[in-house]
Amino acid sequence: MQRAFKTRAELIDYLRDQFPDAAQRDDAISGMRGGRQAGLALLQQIDPKAYGASRNALDGAVSRLSPYIRHGALSLTEVRDYALTLSDNPRADANKFVFELAYRDYFQHVYAKEGVSIWDDLEPYKTGFTAQDYADQLPADILNAATGVTAMDAFIQELYATGYLHNHARMWLAAYVVHWRRIKWQAGARWFLQHLLDGDPASNNLSWQWVASTFSHKPYFFNLDNLHKYSGKQYYDRTGEAGHAIFDASYETLAARLFPNLPPQPKRPQKTTKKGKRRQRPHYHE
Amino acid sequence: MNKQPIVWVFGDHLSPTQPALRQYPNAPALYVWDTAMLARNQLSLKRIAFVYECLLELPVEIQRGHPVDVLSAFAQAHNTNTIVTVDSVSPRFQQHCQRLSEKGFAVERLTPEPFVKIDQDRDLKRASRYWRQIQAVAFTKTESS
Ligand SMILES: Cc1cc2nc3c(=O)[nH]c(=O)nc-3n(C[C@H](O)[C@H](O)[C@H](O)COP(=O)(O)OP(=O)(O)OC[C@H]3O[C@@H](n4cnc5c(N)ncnc54)[C@H](O)[C@@H]3O)c2cc1C
Repeated sequence: MQRAFKTRAELIDYLRDQFPDAAQRDDAISGMRGGRQAGLALLQQIDPKAYGASRNALDGAVSRLSPYIRHGALSLTEVRDYALTLSDNPRADANKFVFELAYRDYFQHVYAKEGVSIWDDLEPYKTGFTAQDYADQLPADILNAATGVTAMDAFIQELYATGYLHNHARMWLAAYVVHWRRIKWQAGARWFLQHLLDGDPASNNLSWQWVASTFSHKPYFFNLDNLHKYSGKQYYDRTGEAGHAIFDASYETLAARLFPNLPPQPKRPQKTTKKGKRRQRPHYHE
Repeated sequence: MNKQPIVWVFGDHLSPTQPALRQYPNAPALYVWDTAMLARNQLSLKRIAFVYECLLELPVEIQRGHPVDVLSAFAQAHNTNTIVTVDSVSPRFQQHCQRLSEKGFAVERLTPEPFVKIDQDRDLKRASRYWRQIQAVAFTKTESS
C-alpha cells in the first residue's frame, strides 16, 4: 500500500478510499496523530507528580500516552524509565504513574494466561443478577449518543470524535451501560474497541469486567457527587442536570435501586473530610 | 535459500526501536492489515488512521489480506523461510505463528523488554496483589536504558 503522502489530508482521503467499510461505519479522524514521534513529544510533557495529585479529574494531568503504548510506538518500560528520571525521589513522586503503568502490565499477563477467555465472565456477577439478566446488545439510544443523560451523551460523542476518553469517563460510562442499563459488559467492550485508539482487549475487557464485578469483589458504580467532583462540574454548571437524577442519591440508596436482589448494605460509619463533607465511596480507582 | 530473514511487524510493536527491526535492520519488513479481523471487529477509520501513521515511520512494506498467506508469499518472494517477529500475547498472533510453523517456516519470536523482572510466578488473582509483588522492583530502571 502507499507510503508517501504530502499531507495528512491526503493520507486520510487515501484511507477512506482503501477502507470504505470502516469509513462508512464512522468517518471521524482523531486529532491525535499516530507515530513514535508524536508519542515522544507527548512523553516530554508528562508530569508524574502532578499526575499523582490530579489523575482522577477529567482535567487532571493525565498523559494521553495510551494509544502509543498500546501499539508499542513507545514501550511501557521506556515510559517508566523516563518518568523515573524526572524526580530525585521517584518512589514518592512517580508512585501513582508507575502504579498505573503496572496496571497495563498486569492486564497483559492476565491476557497471556486467559487468552480468548477474557471475553467470558471470569467470575460470576456479584450484583444479585446472573448473566442472562443482562441484554446482549447496545440499544440505539446509546449508539446514537441520545440517552438524554447529558454526561453520558457527551462521553459517547467524545469517544466517537477523538477515540480517547479519560479513565474516569470510561468507568462512568461502563457503569452506566452495565448497571443502569443492565447490558452485558461484552457489548460495551466490543463497542469501545471499535473506537478507542488505545483499544486493547486486555486493558479494555478486564476493566469492563472489573466494573461489572466479574473480575472484582463488587460492582463499580458512582453517584452524582462523584461525577461533579471529578468532572470539574462541567456537566453541572454548563449543561444543567439533564437526565442526571438517576445518579443523584447516596451509595446505599443507589445500591438498593441498582442491585435489588442483594441484601441491603450495612450502613458504614459516615466518614468525613476536613471540610466536614461526606467522603466519596472509598475506592482504589475512585 | 536466503540466510536473510524477513521481519514481520505486528500491531503491538510499532516502533523503529523494537527488537526485530533493530536486530535485522537490513531485512525486508512487512506489516499486514488483517482484513478479516478489521471486518469482524468493525474497527473505525480513526483507529486505522492512527496505526497507519505509526507505520509510516517504520521501514516496512504495508500489505493487506490474511497475514499467514501474505507473509508466506512475502517470504517466498524474498527466497527465505525464516520469519522474525516480536512476541505478543494476542491469541490471533499466536495462531498465525502456529500456522506459519505448520507451513514449514521457521518463526523466531523475540521477547519484548519486560516491565519488571521477577523470579517468582506472577500473582495474577487481583491487580492489587500483583502490585504488592512487583512494587519493590517497579521503580528500577531497565539496564539497557
Ligand atoms: C471501561 C474501561 C475500558 C478501558 N479500555 C482500555 C483500552 O482499551 N486500552 C487501554 O490502554 N486502557 C484502557 N483502559 C484503562 C485506562 O482508562 C486507560 O489506559 C487510560 O485512561 C489512558 O489514558 P492516559 O494514557 O492518559 O493514561 P494515564 O493515566 O496517563 O496513564 C499512563 C499509562 O498507564 C496505563 N494505564 C493507566 N491507567 C490504566 C488502567 N486503569 N488500566 C490499564 N492501564 C492503565 C496506560 O498505558 C496509560 O497510557 C480502560 C479503562 C476502563 C475503565
